Amino acid sequence: MTISQAQQIHEIADDPLAAMDYCYAQGWTDGLPVIPPEEGRVQAMLAMEGRPPETVLAHHPATGLELTVHAAAANAVMAGCLPEYFPIIVAAFEAMDREPFNFHGSTVSTGGSGHLLIVSGPIVDEINMNAGVNLFGPGNRANATIGRCIRLTLMNVFKIVPGIADKSTQGNPGKYSFCIAERADKNPWPALCEELGYPEGVSSVTVFAGAGFCNVENHGANTPETILDTMADAMANYGCISTGQSVVVFSPEHVEIIARYGWSKAQVREYLFEHAKRPRKDLEQLGKFENGYNAQDRQDCHRGVSPDDILITVGGGDAGGHSAFIPSWSRGRGSMMQSQSIGVCIDC
Amino acid sequence: MHDGITFEQMGKRAVVLCTEPFEVTARNIARMLGQPDYPFVILQHPLGSLTSDEIKARAAVACEQAIDILTG
Amino acid sequence: MKLVDPTVPANIQTSKRAPALASLEGKTIGLLWNHKVNGDKLLNETAALLQSQFGGKVLPIVTKRNAGAPAPTELLTNLAPECDYIITASGD
Repeated sequence: MTISQAQQIHEIADDPLAAMDYCYAQGWTDGLPVIPPEEGRVQAMLAMEGRPPETVLAHHPATGLELTVHAAAANAVMAGCLPEYFPIIVAAFEAMDREPFNFHGSTVSTGGSGHLLIVSGPIVDEINMNAGVNLFGPGNRANATIGRCIRLTLMNVFKIVPGIADKSTQGNPGKYSFCIAERADKNPWPALCEELGYPEGVSSVTVFAGAGFCNVENHGANTPETILDTMADAMANYGCISTGQSVVVFSPEHVEIIARYGWSKAQVREYLFEHAKRPRKDLEQLGKFENGYNAQDRQDCHRGVSPDDILITVGGGDAGGHSAFIPSWSRGRGSMMQSQSIGVCIDC
Repeated sequence: MHDGITFEQMGKRAVVLCTEPFEVTARNIARMLGQPDYPFVILQHPLGSLTSDEIKARAAVACEQAIDILTG
Repeated sequence: MKLVDPTVPANIQTSKRAPALASLEGKTIGLLWNHKVNGDKLLNETAALLQSQFGGKVLPIVTKRNAGAPAPTELLTNLAPECDYIITASGD
């Protein structure tokens, strides 16, 4: 595999620590040290992608900047990714490139979205991703570096740099890295990749422009309704209620209770949609009412447009009544989550 | 900004309204589109929480800058 | 050590500035709103001031649904023949 002529080569002294400093000096980092994108390591990353290095994976509609496989590989090395993680990164950017995701708005807005990646399917175990304890936290190379690669690429390739193009008011910790795996062994429902319609054996990545992270705690709940009422309240909090989409990640402890009563995922979605709501007059009083709620044809203002706007998955450690709600960056339909098969082209 | 400059390719002028914190971002987009010196209206931030009278005051500032942008 | 540059060259596009208007008297004003809060009110007030000073006509606001993406091309191409200039809001 030859290096594409489009990517410039920097020849520096053979000193790894000096090379890390060089990356800082070039402005290539997210504030943390990076692995220098050494030519051999980038070639190893490229070997995981069958298409030529100059293949464009994503483009930015406002600036015309394009992400090639080659540039993605360099950023993947810098993030600390192993080559076997690269197909997830490729799939994630192809998903983000679709118009409904709104690549521009979701990356530059004052709303400050972190791009959540949810990986589902056999690849989770194949590359030793973490779907358990400390699901959203540090400690796992795959989770940490795949998520990090997304941000480094946005900054280095698309120039979405804080203060220049990235106008996020307060940012979001997920902007460093926001990547989780679905926990298959504790999931009472079909896997997300199966729900999305991918063939058996095919893994998927779902990308969601998420505005933050809300820990939804309830250790005393012992019925689906009490767990879901807690979750619905979080989903309807004044700070993030909108007609946007939602991601709900149930912990094993919570989902076991829901499953014990035989609730399907569809029932859970319906319940959450019906109960995640606020009176219209309250939103009007706060200056939070938007015309998008009129399309719901309901007395109250519900989060999302329909139950289909709620993605449900399972993850986290065995112990702890802590689930998570991630609201959309978009306060309406401005960015819709997108999914892509990993490593195979289903639609071509 | 993108919309304003794109519109101008159709032969007519556009007046782009933006607020102060977004001036750098707007100039960056203009530069990427080949118009590093593209003039646009810069207003005091924010807009979303303004009263009707405050909006009128911003509009007066915008009007003044717009005349220069359209005829200059 | 050889490092592969992780950036891509800036893609500076070419574009031109439309010709200046010799006068604003009697012109038709188009308004493009990106759906940001109060952007519509600001457009209407600004256009009203220009109309009161120079006469002419103000078209109804055209709205793009997605504030974070460039306007669809047909929205702009439909608007261009109908007006002499546009005001667009808001980048905030």
